Amino acid sequence: MPDNGGFMVAAYVVTAVVLGSYAVSLWRRGRS
Amino acid sequence: MSLDLAAADRAIARGRVLTLLALAGVVAVYVLALQFTPPERLQGLAQKIFYLHVPAAWSGLMAFVLVGITSALFLWLKEPRLDAFAEASAEVGLMFSVIMLTTGPIWGKPIWGTWWTWDARLTFTLFEFLLFCGYFALRSAVREREERAKFSAVVGIMGMLLVPFIHLTVYLFNTTHPQPVVARVDGPALPGVMLRTFLISLGTFTLLYLGFVMQRYGIAIRTAHQEALDA
Repeated sequence: MPDNGGFMVAAYVVTAVVLGSYAVSLWRRGRS
Repeated sequence: MSLDLAAADRAIARGRVLTLLALAGVVAVYVLALQFTPPERLQGLAQKIFYLHVPAAWSGLMAFVLVGITSALFLWLKEPRLDAFAEASAEVGLMFSVIMLTTGPIWGKPIWGTWWTWDARLTFTLFEFLLFCGYFALRSAVREREERAKFSAVVGIMGMLLVPFIHLTVYLFNTTHPQPVVARVDGPALPGVMLRTFLISLGTFTLLYLGFVMQRYGIAIRTAHQEALDA
């Protein structure tokens, strides 16, 4: 099996950062 | 009055609940995919990017289809809430597109040996992303509310028309992008344990879309209401 776990980790980190940042952004903008 | 502030607040509150549930679901998907789903024999661990890339693509393209539908309805009914929903869905769709367009190349580098190739699927997906960047450039450039909604609705409909074409690129062109492994006429080509993880992720990303778009819709209604007061 190829050793490419680093790419998997990078993709999972990027996804978490994008989703987390957007969730925080919406939360802040949604405060009345 | 169609721009109801109480309804906007309710949408934001409900969207937040859905988002929190969906984010808990994302954590569960991470655990399931990384710990309890075996790696694919030929692609190795990089194959697990599939559990994020495809659901993000699904949510992004679904968002753009809903932009097109609500934009067409806006041009017909002139209802400002439809424009607010189109704006909300376009922004959420762009966010999912960022995930799709970053996780794709991260998978492509170890599997194809390159971050990017100008094949039909990738090129048209990038074009769709840029088209919706243009959608927001247009919205920020036009000050007059009705004109802005009308012009951006036309762009939103164009974006929606591109979605089926993006889906068909792998059949119409000789592309390096893989053919569908789940939505196939002869059934999914995934082992049961991988299919389970994928479907849970697909449901989670759909819920995430709903949570995000409800919040963003409430924010758009508030902004439109304020603009109406300022005018």
